[in-house]
Amino acid sequence: MFPSKSVNDDRDLVGLARRGDREAFTQLIVQYQVPLYNMALRMVGRPDDAADIAQEAFLRAWEKIRTLRDAPFKSWLFQIAANLCYDHFRRGRRYGEMPDEETSNVIGLGIATPDPQERAEASERNRLVRESIEALDHDMRLAIVLRDVNGLTYEEIATVLRVPLGTVKSRIARARAQVQERLQQHPDFFLREDAHAE
Amino acid sequence: MPSEPRVPTEPTLEELSAFIDNELEAAEQARVAEHLAGCADCQARLDGLRQTAHAIRALPMETPSRTFTIPVERQRSWRWAPVAWVGSAAVAVLLIGVGLRALQMPAGSTTATGTTSRISGGLAYAPATQKGAAAPLAAPTGAMNDQQYSGQASSAAVNIVTAVDPANGWRMILSTDRASYPSNARMRVTIELQGSPSTSTNSRDQGLSLTLVRNGTGVALNPVGVMSYNGTPVFGGTYDLGGLRLADPRAGSYRLEATWVIPDGSGRVLQASVPIQLTGS
Repeated sequence: MFPSKSVNDDRDLVGLARRGDREAFTQLIVQYQVPLYNMALRMVGRPDDAADIAQEAFLRAWEKIRTLRDAPFKSWLFQIAANLCYDHFRRGRRYGEMPDEETSNVIGLGIATPDPQERAEASERNRLVRESIEALDHDMRLAIVLRDVNGLTYEEIATVLRVPLGTVKSRIARARAQVQERLQQHPDFFLREDAHAE
Repeated sequence: MPSEPRVPTEPTLEELSAFIDNELEAAEQARVAEHLAGCADCQARLDGLRQTAHAIRALPMETPSRTFTIPVERQRSWRWAPVAWVGSAAVAVLLIGVGLRALQMPAGSTTATGTTSRISGGLAYAPATQKGAAAPLAAPTGAMNDQQYSGQASSAAVNIVTAVDPANGWRMILSTDRASYPSNARMRVTIELQGSPSTSTNSRDQGLSLTLVRNGTGVALNPVGVMSYNGTPVFGGTYDLGGLRLADPRAGSYRLEATWVIPDGSGRVLQASVPIQLTGS
């Protein structure tokens, strides 16, 4: 969602933040809080843990921003968050658990497409997809989340993961194939996807 | 049974996956495309990967239930405020201030779109001096009285939804002035928080956030507090869609999602979303 045209904006903001401009860093937080939180959420599952990771990532970014020179802020920030996700896994905290929507703290939904069946089907589709991502190993999960949840380019993902482009390609491809295999265990999933897309 | 002869350059799994993302070199991309045109099996493999990617991208973009801050103990040795969002609030206040000031100018000095309701004033243009493209150009002004606000709510909103807390009847009403916009147009958003335990018009105090989402990714918008109407905080803003950092193609089906973490310490959340269609410019 943040194409390359944002790089120059980021660079200006980072330049200001490096000189202690809190407003500039606030702009960076506002800009990246939703994508960063969602990256963490799809990695670790629990909203509280994801929020903790996003919070800590912003804290560390603020503390270290003076060390950031020419590297793109977005890749650097996601790299910090990715490392925090791996720390989270190493600590063995709630490994890989994905929340059911039923257990979230959302108590009321106002949806302008109020068809209950449509909502139920969408909820079921999302649950299956989340579980399929959950089943991936951490490296593949991170690669596919950065690509298909956050929309990073392969080059940006390579920077975040500090691996060659070929490794990025391979992880994303294998992750997609594994997710596809799991989703195909539900015979009507892709039929519904087709209907959903039409 | 021998398999059918294949074109020698059958793409690998990695190539098919990267093909979906346009991440192959131009020559490779062309070679894969050429192969796909004559190979139903590989086209089916590609379709499966594409549907999978689409399913992941369709996951809803969640909104964090709290804002991210830099606490005092993590301050750097030089200037820093205890809460990062103070800056955003300052921007919001500035924008409202600019909007009010613009309303006092002759009509020609603004790019007011005008209104059909009894709102005093229209949509004032604020210079885009802020870096965050997701900040509204202007908020509906706080200069309207109760009756005027009611008139605005009924006449301007055509895309509206209400989320209700079944425990106590508290409501969040989200509305936009249209359901479909040219992708470089301005979108006017209004959010009422009926029954809120707080009358604050600071979105952070209210736990209110607003996101424009498509295919699982979104852009956060800053909801600007406008007024407290009979104790009901009202937020809103006019957002320059052309200035938002949306992925290409910008045209498409989006959802505008508002999340209200009710500020009573319970952690309960109301969410509301309306469909937004962006068309070509």
